[in-house]
Amino acid sequence: MTGAFAASLRYEFRMQVRKRSVWIVPALTLVLFVLIGGSLLRDLFDPAERPPEARTAVVGLAVQLHGLLAIGFGCLLADRLVRDDRLRVASILDATPAEPRARLLGKYLGAGAATAVPILVAYLGFALAYAVDSGGPGAIGWALVAFVVVFVPGLLFVAALALAGPLVVPAPLFRVLFVGYWLWGNVVPPDTMPTLSGTLVHPLGGYALTALLHFRGIDGEDTLAGPVSGATLNFLRPDPTPAVAVLSIGVLLALAVAVLACGHALRVRRAR
Amino acid sequence: MRIEISGLTKTYRGGVAALDGLDLTVPTGMFGLLGANGAGKTTLMRILAGVVRPSSGRVTVGGHDLATGAGRTAVQRELGYLPQDLGVYPDLTARQFLDYVALLKGMDDRAVRRRRVGELLEVVALTPHADRRLRGFSGGMRQRVGIAQALLADPQLLIVDEPTAGLDPEERIRFRTLLSQFAGRRTVLLSTHIVDDIAQTCREVAVLAKGRLIFRGTADELVRRADGRVWSVVTDGPPPTEGTVVSALPHENGMRYRVVAADAPGPGARPVDPALEDGYLALTTN
Repeated sequence: MTGAFAASLRYEFRMQVRKRSVWIVPALTLVLFVLIGGSLLRDLFDPAERPPEARTAVVGLAVQLHGLLAIGFGCLLADRLVRDDRLRVASILDATPAEPRARLLGKYLGAGAATAVPILVAYLGFALAYAVDSGGPGAIGWALVAFVVVFVPGLLFVAALALAGPLVVPAPLFRVLFVGYWLWGNVVPPDTMPTLSGTLVHPLGGYALTALLHFRGIDGEDTLAGPVSGATLNFLRPDPTPAVAVLSIGVLLALAVAVLACGHALRVRRAR
Repeated sequence: MRIEISGLTKTYRGGVAALDGLDLTVPTGMFGLLGANGAGKTTLMRILAGVVRPSSGRVTVGGHDLATGAGRTAVQRELGYLPQDLGVYPDLTARQFLDYVALLKGMDDRAVRRRRVGELLEVVALTPHADRRLRGFSGGMRQRVGIAQALLADPQLLIVDEPTAGLDPEERIRFRTLLSQFAGRRTVLLSTHIVDDIAQTCREVAVLAKGRLIFRGTADELVRRADGRVWSVVTDGPPPTEGTVVSALPHENGMRYRVVAADAPGPGARPVDPALEDGYLALTTN
Protein backbone atom coordinates (compact mmCIF):
# COMPACT_ATOMS: atom_id res chain seq x y z
CA MET A 1 0.00 0.00 0.00
CA THR A 2 2.67 2.50 1.05
CA GLY A 3 4.94 1.74 -1.92
CA ALA A 4 2.21 2.34 -4.48
CA PHE A 5 1.00 5.40 -2.60
CA ALA A 6 4.49 6.89 -2.40
CA ALA A 7 5.23 6.12 -6.06
CA SER A 8 1.99 7.63 -7.24
CA LEU A 9 2.40 10.66 -4.97
CA ARG A 10 5.93 11.28 -6.21
CA TYR A 11 5.28 10.92 -9.92
CA GLU A 12 1.91 12.66 -9.96
CA PHE A 13 3.48 15.57 -8.09
CA ARG A 14 6.38 15.63 -10.54
CA MET A 15 4.18 15.55 -13.63
CA GLN A 16 1.78 18.19 -12.37
CA VAL A 17 4.32 20.64 -10.97
CA ARG A 18 6.10 20.66 -14.35
CA LYS A 19 2.96 21.69 -16.18
CA ARG A 20 3.33 25.28 -17.31
CA SER A 21 -0.38 25.97 -16.85
CA VAL A 22 -0.08 25.14 -13.15
CA TRP A 23 2.12 28.24 -12.84
CA ILE A 24 0.66 30.41 -15.58
CA VAL A 25 -3.00 30.19 -14.50
CA PRO A 26 -2.46 31.47 -10.91
CA ALA A 27 0.05 34.07 -12.11
CA LEU A 28 -2.37 35.47 -14.68
CA THR A 29 -5.20 35.34 -12.16
CA LEU A 30 -3.18 37.39 -9.71
CA VAL A 31 -2.14 39.94 -12.33
CA LEU A 32 -5.73 40.25 -13.48
CA PHE A 33 -6.92 40.58 -9.90
CA VAL A 34 -4.47 43.39 -9.13
CA LEU A 35 -5.35 45.17 -12.36
CA ILE A 36 -9.12 45.03 -11.91
CA GLY A 37 -9.20 45.96 -8.25
CA GLY A 38 -7.56 43.54 -5.90
CA SER A 39 -7.43 46.30 -3.33
CA LEU A 40 -5.94 44.31 -0.45
CA LEU A 41 -2.94 43.18 -2.47
CA ARG A 42 -2.06 46.84 -3.04
CA ASP A 43 -3.21 48.15 0.32
CA LEU A 44 -1.00 45.67 2.17
CA PHE A 45 1.98 47.77 1.22
CA ASP A 46 0.40 51.16 1.92
CA PRO A 47 0.85 52.11 5.61
CA ALA A 48 -2.13 54.45 5.41
CA GLU A 49 -4.49 51.87 3.97
CA ARG A 50 -3.46 48.48 5.34
CA PRO A 51 -5.27 46.89 8.28
CA PRO A 52 -3.71 47.80 11.62
CA GLU A 53 -3.30 44.16 12.71
CA ALA A 54 -0.97 41.72 10.98
CA ARG A 55 -3.44 38.91 11.65
CA THR A 56 -6.27 40.73 9.89
CA ALA A 57 -4.02 41.62 6.99
CA VAL A 58 -2.68 38.13 6.24
CA VAL A 59 -5.93 36.31 6.99
CA GLY A 60 -7.75 38.79 4.75
CA LEU A 61 -5.14 38.07 2.11
CA ALA A 62 -5.77 34.33 2.59
CA VAL A 63 -9.51 34.83 2.04
CA GLN A 64 -8.98 36.80 -1.16
CA LEU A 65 -6.34 34.49 -2.62
CA HIS A 66 -8.17 31.33 -1.61
CA GLY A 67 -11.43 32.59 -3.09
CA LEU A 68 -9.68 33.48 -6.30
CA LEU A 69 -6.98 30.89 -6.87
CA ALA A 70 -9.04 27.86 -5.83
CA ILE A 71 -11.01 28.32 -9.08
CA GLY A 72 -7.90 27.71 -11.17
CA PHE A 73 -6.81 24.98 -8.74
CA GLY A 74 -10.00 23.00 -9.35
CA CYS A 75 -9.90 23.55 -13.11
CA LEU A 76 -6.23 22.48 -13.35
CA LEU A 77 -6.90 19.24 -11.49
CA ALA A 78 -9.97 18.31 -13.51
CA ASP A 79 -8.15 16.10 -16.02
CA ARG A 80 -5.88 14.22 -13.63
CA LEU A 81 -7.93 11.08 -13.06
CA VAL A 82 -9.62 10.78 -16.44
CA ARG A 83 -6.39 11.37 -18.32
CA ASP A 84 -5.07 7.91 -17.40
CA ASP A 85 -7.82 6.48 -19.60
CA ARG A 86 -7.42 9.19 -22.22
CA LEU A 87 -3.67 8.54 -22.49
CA ARG A 88 -4.32 4.75 -22.40
CA VAL A 89 -1.95 4.31 -19.47
CA ALA A 90 -4.66 2.97 -17.18
CA SER A 91 -4.42 -0.65 -18.33
CA ILE A 92 -0.68 -0.79 -17.62
CA LEU A 93 -1.20 0.67 -14.15
CA ASP A 94 -4.25 -1.51 -13.45
CA ALA A 95 -2.25 -4.64 -14.35
CA THR A 96 0.29 -3.96 -11.59
CA PRO A 97 -0.21 -5.39 -8.10
CA ALA A 98 -0.41 -1.83 -6.73
CA GLU A 99 -3.59 -1.30 -4.74
CA PRO A 100 -5.86 1.00 -6.84
CA ARG A 101 -6.97 2.95 -3.76
CA ALA A 102 -3.35 3.64 -2.84
CA ARG A 103 -2.67 4.87 -6.37
CA LEU A 104 -5.74 7.10 -6.26
CA LEU A 105 -4.74 8.55 -2.90
CA GLY A 106 -1.22 9.18 -4.17
CA LYS A 107 -2.56 10.86 -7.29
CA TYR A 108 -4.97 12.96 -5.24
CA LEU A 109 -2.39 14.21 -2.79
CA GLY A 110 0.50 14.39 -5.27
CA ALA A 111 -1.31 16.29 -8.02
CA GLY A 112 -3.18 18.37 -5.44
CA ALA A 113 0.02 19.36 -3.63
CA ALA A 114 1.74 20.25 -6.92
CA THR A 115 -1.18 22.45 -7.97
CA ALA A 116 -1.17 24.11 -4.55
CA VAL A 117 2.54 24.97 -4.73
CA PRO A 118 2.04 28.20 -6.76
CA ILE A 119 -0.77 29.21 -4.39
CA LEU A 120 1.47 28.63 -1.38
CA VAL A 121 4.32 30.48 -3.05
CA ALA A 122 2.09 33.44 -3.91
CA TYR A 123 0.47 33.60 -0.49
CA LEU A 124 3.63 33.21 1.56
CA GLY A 125 5.44 35.53 -0.84
CA PHE A 126 2.92 38.31 -0.26
CA ALA A 127 2.85 37.57 3.48
CA LEU A 128 6.65 37.72 3.66
CA ALA A 129 6.76 40.96 1.70
CA TYR A 130 4.11 42.36 4.00
CA ALA A 131 6.05 41.23 7.09
CA VAL A 132 9.19 42.95 5.80
CA ASP A 133 7.32 46.09 4.73
CA SER A 134 5.33 46.43 7.94
CA GLY A 135 8.14 45.27 10.23
CA GLY A 136 5.82 42.65 11.75
CA PRO A 137 7.37 39.17 11.58
CA GLY A 138 4.28 37.73 13.30
CA ALA A 139 2.54 37.95 9.94
CA ILE A 140 4.46 34.88 8.78
CA GLY A 141 3.17 32.82 11.67
CA TRP A 142 -0.41 33.93 11.02
CA ALA A 143 0.04 33.19 7.33
CA LEU A 144 1.14 29.63 8.09
CA VAL A 145 -1.78 29.13 10.47
CA ALA A 146 -4.21 30.54 7.90
CA PHE A 147 -2.77 28.27 5.22
CA VAL A 148 -3.30 25.18 7.33
CA VAL A 149 -6.72 26.16 8.67
CA VAL A 150 -8.25 27.86 5.64
CA PHE A 151 -6.46 26.79 2.46
CA VAL A 152 -5.68 23.13 3.18
CA PRO A 153 -9.21 21.85 4.03
CA GLY A 154 -10.75 23.87 1.20
CA LEU A 155 -8.20 22.74 -1.36
CA LEU A 156 -8.46 19.10 -0.25
CA PHE A 157 -12.20 19.29 -0.79
CA VAL A 158 -11.83 21.00 -4.17
CA ALA A 159 -9.18 18.48 -5.28
CA ALA A 160 -11.48 15.53 -4.52
CA LEU A 161 -14.30 17.21 -6.41
CA ALA A 162 -12.04 17.98 -9.37
CA LEU A 163 -10.70 14.43 -9.61
CA ALA A 164 -14.06 12.70 -9.32
CA GLY A 165 -16.31 15.20 -11.12
CA PRO A 166 -15.00 14.55 -14.64
CA LEU A 167 -15.90 10.87 -14.24
CA VAL A 168 -19.51 12.01 -14.32
CA VAL A 169 -19.41 14.94 -16.76
CA PRO A 170 -16.74 15.80 -19.36
CA ALA A 171 -13.82 17.77 -17.92
CA PRO A 172 -14.55 21.02 -19.84
CA LEU A 173 -18.15 20.98 -18.64
CA PHE A 174 -17.00 20.16 -15.12
CA ARG A 175 -14.77 23.24 -15.16
CA VAL A 176 -17.72 25.47 -16.09
CA LEU A 177 -19.93 23.89 -13.43
CA PHE A 178 -17.15 24.13 -10.86
CA VAL A 179 -16.65 27.87 -11.42
CA GLY A 180 -20.40 28.34 -10.99
CA TYR A 181 -20.42 26.26 -7.85
CA TRP A 182 -17.46 28.12 -6.38
CA LEU A 183 -18.98 31.54 -6.97
CA TRP A 184 -22.39 30.39 -5.73
CA GLY A 185 -20.97 28.72 -2.63
CA ASN A 186 -18.65 31.55 -1.63
CA VAL A 187 -19.67 34.86 -3.14
CA VAL A 188 -23.46 34.91 -3.16
CA PRO A 189 -24.79 36.54 0.08
CA PRO A 190 -26.95 34.06 2.06
CA ASP A 191 -29.91 36.41 2.30
CA THR A 192 -30.29 36.76 -1.49
CA MET A 193 -30.66 33.09 -2.42
CA PRO A 194 -29.97 29.64 -0.96
CA THR A 195 -26.19 29.25 -0.89
CA LEU A 196 -23.49 27.36 0.96
CA SER A 197 -21.90 30.67 2.04
CA GLY A 198 -21.56 30.81 5.80
CA THR A 199 -22.59 27.16 6.29
CA LEU A 200 -20.65 24.27 7.78
CA VAL A 201 -19.68 23.26 4.26
CA HIS A 202 -18.60 26.75 3.19
CA PRO A 203 -15.61 25.82 1.01
CA LEU A 204 -13.85 29.07 1.88
CA GLY A 205 -13.82 28.08 5.55
CA GLY A 206 -16.10 30.70 7.12
CA TYR A 207 -16.26 28.91 10.47
CA ALA A 208 -12.49 28.49 10.74
CA LEU A 209 -12.00 32.13 9.80
CA THR A 210 -14.54 33.36 12.33
CA ALA A 211 -14.05 31.04 15.30
CA LEU A 212 -10.39 30.02 15.01
CA LEU A 213 -8.79 33.10 13.44
CA HIS A 214 -11.31 35.68 14.78
CA PHE A 215 -11.56 37.20 11.35
CA ARG A 216 -14.69 39.11 10.37
CA GLY A 217 -13.50 40.81 7.22
CA ILE A 218 -10.91 43.52 6.69
CA ASP A 219 -13.13 46.10 8.33
CA GLY A 220 -14.32 43.68 11.04
CA GLU A 221 -17.97 43.89 10.05
CA ASP A 222 -18.54 40.83 7.85
CA THR A 223 -20.46 37.70 8.80
CA LEU A 224 -18.57 34.73 7.38
CA ALA A 225 -20.30 32.03 9.42
CA GLY A 226 -23.39 31.51 11.55
CA PRO A 227 -27.10 32.24 11.10
CA VAL A 228 -28.08 35.08 8.76
CA SER A 229 -31.39 36.79 9.19
CA GLY A 230 -33.76 35.96 6.32
CA ALA A 231 -31.47 33.31 4.84
CA THR A 232 -32.47 29.77 3.92
CA LEU A 233 -30.29 26.81 4.95
CA ASN A 234 -29.74 28.38 8.38
CA PHE A 235 -29.90 24.88 9.86
CA LEU A 236 -26.43 24.50 8.36
CA ARG A 237 -25.31 27.70 10.07
CA PRO A 238 -24.96 27.08 13.81
CA ASP A 239 -23.33 29.74 15.94
CA PRO A 240 -19.59 29.82 15.23
CA THR A 241 -17.54 28.36 18.08
CA PRO A 242 -14.09 26.76 17.94
CA ALA A 243 -15.70 23.29 18.26
CA VAL A 244 -18.06 23.99 15.39
CA ALA A 245 -15.14 25.33 13.34
CA VAL A 246 -13.23 22.08 13.86
CA LEU A 247 -16.43 20.21 12.99
CA SER A 248 -16.72 22.29 9.80
CA ILE A 249 -13.18 21.34 8.78
CA GLY A 250 -13.97 17.72 9.60
CA VAL A 251 -17.13 17.84 7.47
CA LEU A 252 -15.21 19.25 4.50
CA LEU A 253 -12.56 16.53 4.82
CA ALA A 254 -15.19 13.82 5.23
CA LEU A 255 -16.95 15.09 2.11
CA ALA A 256 -13.63 15.00 0.25
CA VAL A 257 -13.12 11.37 1.27
CA ALA A 258 -16.69 10.48 0.29
CA VAL A 259 -16.39 12.17 -3.12
CA LEU A 260 -13.08 10.42 -3.75
CA ALA A 261 -14.51 7.05 -2.70
CA CYS A 262 -17.47 7.53 -5.05
CA GLY A 263 -15.09 8.43 -7.88
CA HIS A 264 -13.02 5.32 -7.18
CA ALA A 265 -16.09 3.08 -7.11
CA LEU A 266 -17.37 4.60 -10.35
CA ARG A 267 -14.07 4.09 -12.12
CA VAL A 268 -13.75 0.48 -10.94
CA ARG A 269 -17.31 -0.24 -12.05
CA ARG A 270 -16.70 1.22 -15.50
CA ALA A 271 -13.42 -0.64 -15.93
CA ARG A 272 -15.23 -3.92 -15.38
CA MET B 1 2.54 -20.61 -14.83
CA ARG B 2 -0.24 -22.76 -16.20
CA ILE B 3 -3.45 -20.97 -17.16
CA GLU B 4 -6.75 -22.84 -16.83
CA ILE B 5 -9.85 -21.24 -18.30
CA SER B 6 -13.29 -22.81 -18.14
CA GLY B 7 -16.66 -21.49 -19.27
CA LEU B 8 -15.31 -17.96 -19.55
CA THR B 9 -17.85 -15.40 -20.67
CA LYS B 10 -17.57 -11.66 -20.96
CA THR B 11 -20.50 -9.53 -22.00
CA TYR B 12 -19.96 -5.77 -22.09
CA ARG B 13 -22.61 -3.22 -21.34
CA GLY B 14 -24.95 -3.00 -24.28
CA GLY B 15 -25.00 -6.77 -24.59
CA VAL B 16 -21.85 -7.17 -26.70
CA ALA B 17 -20.52 -10.69 -26.02
CA ALA B 18 -16.73 -10.69 -26.36
CA LEU B 19 -16.18 -14.18 -24.92
CA ASP B 20 -18.74 -16.95 -25.03
CA GLY B 21 -18.05 -19.97 -22.81
CA LEU B 22 -14.34 -20.23 -23.55
CA ASP B 23 -12.43 -23.29 -22.32
CA LEU B 24 -8.66 -23.21 -22.75
CA THR B 25 -5.50 -24.42 -21.08
CA VAL B 26 -2.24 -22.59 -21.63
CA PRO B 27 0.90 -24.45 -20.58
CA THR B 28 4.34 -23.07 -19.74
CA GLY B 29 6.29 -21.75 -22.73
CA MET B 30 5.34 -19.62 -25.72
CA PHE B 31 1.69 -19.81 -26.65
CA GLY B 32 0.14 -18.04 -29.63
CA LEU B 33 -3.34 -16.61 -29.82
CA LEU B 34 -4.83 -15.92 -33.21
CA GLY B 35 -8.16 -14.58 -34.32
CA ALA B 36 -9.83 -11.92 -36.40
CA ASN B 37 -10.68 -8.48 -35.03
CA GLY B 38 -13.45 -8.85 -32.47
CA ALA B 39 -12.65 -12.53 -31.85
CA GLY B 40 -12.14 -11.81 -28.13
CA LYS B 41 -8.34 -12.02 -27.90
CA THR B 42 -7.86 -8.63 -26.28
CA THR B 43 -10.72 -9.19 -23.84
CA LEU B 44 -9.19 -12.53 -22.85
CA MET B 45 -5.82 -10.90 -22.27
CA ARG B 46 -7.34 -8.06 -20.26
CA ILE B 47 -9.13 -10.60 -18.06
CA LEU B 48 -5.90 -12.56 -17.54
CA ALA B 49 -4.12 -9.31 -16.65
CA GLY B 50 -6.78 -8.56 -14.03
CA VAL B 51 -7.79 -5.34 -15.77
CA VAL B 52 -11.29 -6.56 -16.69
CA ARG B 53 -13.57 -8.90 -14.73
CA PRO B 54 -15.31 -11.77 -16.51
CA SER B 55 -19.10 -12.02 -16.54
CA SER B 56 -18.91 -15.71 -15.65
CA GLY B 57 -16.56 -18.68 -15.75
CA ARG B 58 -13.40 -19.52 -13.92
CA VAL B 59 -9.78 -18.60 -14.56
CA THR B 60 -6.81 -19.81 -12.56
CA VAL B 61 -3.23 -18.78 -13.22
CA GLY B 62 -0.54 -20.78 -11.48
CA GLY B 63 -3.29 -22.05 -9.17
CA HIS B 64 -4.46 -18.53 -8.24
CA ASP B 65 -8.14 -17.85 -8.80
CA LEU B 66 -8.62 -14.54 -10.64
CA ALA B 67 -12.10 -14.18 -9.17
CA THR B 68 -10.57 -13.22 -5.82
CA GLY B 69 -8.67 -10.02 -5.01
CA ALA B 70 -5.87 -12.00 -3.43
CA GLY B 71 -5.65 -14.24 -6.49
CA ARG B 72 -5.50 -11.29 -8.88
CA THR B 73 -2.80 -9.59 -6.82
CA ALA B 74 -0.77 -12.80 -6.65
CA VAL B 75 -0.94 -13.15 -10.44
CA GLN B 76 -0.16 -9.48 -11.02
CA ARG B 77 3.01 -9.85 -8.94
CA GLU B 78 4.23 -12.35 -11.53
CA LEU B 79 2.80 -10.58 -14.55
CA GLY B 80 4.23 -8.53 -17.37
CA TYR B 81 1.53 -7.03 -19.57
CA LEU B 82 1.84 -5.18 -22.83
CA PRO B 83 -1.63 -3.99 -23.84
CA GLN B 84 -2.67 -3.51 -27.43
CA ASP B 85 -3.65 0.11 -26.87
CA LEU B 86 -0.42 1.07 -25.17
CA GLY B 87 -0.17 4.56 -23.71
CA VAL B 88 2.52 6.42 -21.80
CA TYR B 89 2.75 9.64 -19.81
CA PRO B 90 4.14 12.16 -22.32
CA ASP B 91 5.54 14.37 -19.57
CA LEU B 92 7.86 11.68 -18.17
CA THR B 93 11.12 10.49 -19.66
CA ALA B 94 11.47 6.83 -20.67
CA ARG B 95 13.60 6.18 -17.57
CA GLN B 96 11.11 7.89 -15.25
CA PHE B 97 8.16 6.05 -16.76
CA LEU B 98 9.86 2.70 -16.29
CA ASP B 99 10.89 3.68 -12.76
CA TYR B 100 7.27 4.57 -11.95
CA VAL B 101 5.92 1.27 -13.27
CA ALA B 102 8.70 -0.62 -11.48
CA LEU B 103 7.69 1.02 -8.19
CA LEU B 104 4.07 0.04 -8.79
CA LYS B 105 5.25 -3.51 -9.44
CA GLY B 106 6.79 -3.53 -5.99
CA MET B 107 10.45 -3.07 -6.93
CA ASP B 108 11.20 -1.01 -3.86
CA ASP B 109 14.98 -1.39 -3.77
CA ARG B 110 16.27 1.69 -5.55
CA ALA B 111 19.57 0.21 -6.70
CA VAL B 112 17.92 -2.94 -8.07
CA ARG B 113 15.26 -0.87 -9.79
CA ARG B 114 17.74 1.47 -11.42
CA ARG B 115 19.87 -1.41 -12.63
CA ARG B 116 16.88 -3.26 -14.08
CA VAL B 117 15.53 -0.14 -15.81
CA GLY B 118 18.99 0.49 -17.29
CA GLU B 119 19.26 -3.12 -18.51
CA LEU B 120 15.87 -3.04 -20.17
CA LEU B 121 16.52 0.31 -21.83
CA GLU B 122 19.59 -1.35 -23.29
CA VAL B 123 17.60 -4.42 -24.38
CA VAL B 124 15.08 -2.30 -26.28
CA ALA B 125 17.85 -0.06 -27.64
CA LEU B 126 16.57 3.09 -25.97
CA THR B 127 19.56 3.93 -23.79
CA PRO B 128 20.50 7.00 -25.89
CA HIS B 129 16.92 8.30 -25.52
CA ALA B 130 16.40 7.27 -21.88
CA ASP B 131 16.25 10.81 -20.54
CA ARG B 132 14.08 12.28 -23.27
CA ARG B 133 10.42 12.97 -22.60
CA LEU B 134 8.10 10.39 -24.08
CA ARG B 135 6.14 13.17 -25.79
CA GLY B 136 8.75 13.22 -28.55
CA PHE B 137 8.92 9.43 -29.06
CA SER B 138 7.74 7.78 -32.28
CA GLY B 139 5.15 4.98 -32.17
CA GLY B 140 7.86 2.33 -32.48
CA MET B 141 9.91 3.86 -29.67
CA ARG B 142 6.85 3.98 -27.41
CA GLN B 143 6.16 0.36 -28.24
CA ARG B 144 9.71 -0.47 -27.12
CA VAL B 145 9.08 1.38 -23.86
CA GLY B 146 5.96 -0.74 -23.50
CA ILE B 147 7.97 -3.91 -24.05
CA ALA B 148 10.52 -2.79 -21.45
CA GLN B 149 7.86 -2.07 -18.81
CA ALA B 150 6.33 -5.51 -19.39
CA LEU B 151 9.66 -7.19 -18.64
CA LEU B 152 10.48 -5.07 -15.58
CA ALA B 153 9.93 -7.38 -12.64
CA ASP B 154 11.20 -10.55 -14.37
CA PRO B 155 7.62 -11.83 -14.79
CA GLN B 156 6.73 -15.52 -14.79
CA LEU B 157 3.73 -14.74 -16.97
CA LEU B 158 4.09 -12.39 -19.92
CA ILE B 159 0.96 -11.31 -21.78
CA VAL B 160 1.69 -9.40 -24.96
CA ASP B 161 -1.07 -8.10 -27.19
CA GLU B 162 0.06 -7.11 -30.68
CA PRO B 163 3.59 -6.47 -29.43
CA THR B 164 5.19 -5.94 -32.82
CA ALA B 165 2.71 -3.32 -34.03
CA GLY B 166 4.66 -0.23 -35.02
CA LEU B 167 8.05 -1.95 -35.00
CA ASP B 168 10.21 -2.00 -38.10
CA PRO B 169 11.16 -5.45 -39.52
CA GLU B 170 14.51 -5.53 -37.74
CA GLU B 171 12.98 -4.56 -34.40
CA ARG B 172 10.23 -7.12 -34.95
CA ILE B 173 12.69 -9.95 -35.45
CA ARG B 174 14.75 -8.79 -32.47
CA PHE B 175 11.67 -8.71 -30.25
CA ARG B 176 10.52 -12.14 -31.42
CA THR B 177 13.91 -13.55 -30.53
CA LEU B 178 13.82 -11.79 -27.19
CA LEU B 179 10.41 -13.31 -26.42
CA SER B 180 11.57 -16.82 -27.33
CA GLN B 181 14.69 -16.48 -25.18
CA PHE B 182 12.65 -15.04 -22.36
CA ALA B 183 10.03 -17.80 -22.39
CA GLY B 184 12.14 -20.72 -21.13
CA ARG B 185 10.26 -21.98 -18.09
CA ARG B 186 7.93 -19.01 -18.07
CA THR B 187 4.57 -18.59 -19.80
CA VAL B 188 4.35 -16.14 -22.67
CA LEU B 189 0.95 -15.54 -24.21
CA LEU B 190 1.33 -13.80 -27.54
CA SER B 191 -1.62 -12.39 -29.41
CA THR B 192 -1.08 -10.98 -32.85
CA HIS B 193 -2.50 -10.51 -36.31
CA ILE B 194 0.92 -11.24 -37.75
CA VAL B 195 0.76 -15.00 -38.22
CA ASP B 196 4.46 -15.11 -39.08
CA ASP B 197 5.30 -13.90 -35.54
CA ILE B 198 3.45 -16.92 -34.15
CA ALA B 199 4.99 -19.26 -36.72
CA GLN B 200 8.49 -18.16 -35.71
CA THR B 201 8.00 -18.36 -31.95
CA CYS B 202 5.12 -20.56 -30.75
CA ARG B 203 4.85 -24.32 -30.71
CA GLU B 204 1.27 -24.21 -29.45
CA VAL B 205 -1.55 -22.07 -30.74
CA ALA B 206 -5.19 -21.29 -30.06
CA VAL B 207 -7.56 -19.65 -32.50
CA LEU B 208 -10.59 -17.70 -31.35
CA ALA B 209 -13.61 -16.71 -33.40
CA LYS B 210 -16.58 -14.77 -32.06
CA GLY B 211 -15.50 -15.35 -28.50
CA ARG B 212 -15.16 -19.11 -28.85
CA LEU B 213 -12.25 -21.47 -29.21
CA ILE B 214 -12.18 -22.99 -32.69
CA PHE B 215 -8.72 -24.51 -32.56
CA ARG B 216 -6.22 -25.58 -29.91
CA GLY B 217 -3.10 -27.51 -30.82
CA THR B 218 0.41 -27.26 -32.14
CA ALA B 219 1.40 -24.91 -34.91
CA ASP B 220 2.10 -27.97 -37.08
CA GLU B 221 -1.44 -29.24 -36.53
CA LEU B 222 -2.79 -25.86 -37.59
CA VAL B 223 -0.63 -25.98 -40.71
CA ARG B 224 -2.01 -29.43 -41.54
CA ARG B 225 -5.53 -27.98 -41.60
CA ALA B 226 -4.54 -26.62 -45.01
CA ASP B 227 -3.08 -29.87 -46.37
CA GLY B 228 -4.22 -30.27 -49.98
CA ARG B 229 -5.98 -26.91 -49.90
CA VAL B 230 -3.20 -24.52 -50.87
CA TRP B 231 -2.73 -23.70 -54.54
CA SER B 232 -0.47 -21.64 -56.69
CA VAL B 233 -2.16 -20.12 -59.74
CA VAL B 234 -0.42 -18.10 -62.46
CA THR B 235 -2.74 -16.07 -64.65
CA ASP B 236 -2.82 -12.86 -66.64
CA GLY B 237 -6.56 -12.66 -66.15
CA PRO B 238 -8.67 -11.73 -63.13
CA PRO B 239 -7.76 -13.19 -59.73
CA PRO B 240 -9.29 -16.56 -58.79
CA THR B 241 -12.77 -16.28 -57.34
CA GLU B 242 -12.71 -19.65 -55.62
CA GLY B 243 -11.26 -19.76 -52.11
CA THR B 244 -9.21 -17.07 -50.32
CA VAL B 245 -6.28 -15.33 -51.98
CA VAL B 246 -3.36 -15.35 -49.52
CA SER B 247 -0.88 -13.45 -51.66
CA ALA B 248 -0.42 -12.00 -55.13
CA LEU B 249 3.02 -11.60 -56.71
CA PRO B 250 3.88 -10.15 -60.11
CA HIS B 251 5.00 -12.91 -62.51
CA GLU B 252 6.40 -12.88 -66.07
CA ASN B 253 3.10 -14.35 -67.29
CA GLY B 254 0.83 -12.10 -65.25
CA MET B 255 0.32 -12.64 -61.53
CA ARG B 256 1.09 -15.58 -59.26
CA TYR B 257 -1.68 -16.10 -56.69
CA ARG B 258 -1.47 -18.25 -53.58
CA VAL B 259 -4.97 -19.47 -52.82
CA VAL B 260 -6.51 -21.49 -50.03
CA ALA B 261 -9.43 -23.42 -51.47
CA ALA B 262 -10.97 -26.86 -51.08
CA ASP B 263 -10.60 -27.56 -54.81
CA ALA B 264 -8.22 -26.29 -57.48
CA PRO B 265 -9.28 -22.68 -58.06
CA GLY B 266 -8.72 -22.79 -61.80
CA PRO B 267 -6.95 -24.49 -64.70
CA GLY B 268 -3.21 -24.77 -64.16
CA ALA B 269 -3.50 -24.47 -60.38
CA ARG B 270 -0.91 -26.63 -58.68
CA PRO B 271 -0.87 -27.70 -55.03
CA VAL B 272 1.85 -26.25 -52.78
CA ASP B 273 3.02 -26.91 -49.22
CA PRO B 274 0.93 -25.07 -46.64
CA ALA B 275 2.27 -22.56 -44.12
CA LEU B 276 0.77 -21.47 -40.79
CA GLU B 277 -1.06 -18.57 -42.40
CA ASP B 278 -2.70 -21.03 -44.84
CA GLY B 279 -3.74 -23.25 -41.95
CA TYR B 280 -5.25 -20.29 -40.14
CA LEU B 281 -7.17 -19.21 -43.24
CA ALA B 282 -8.29 -22.76 -43.98
CA LEU B 283 -9.65 -22.96 -40.45
CA THR B 284 -11.34 -19.58 -40.27
CA THR B 285 -12.80 -19.55 -43.78
CA ASN B 286 -14.13 -23.07 -43.50
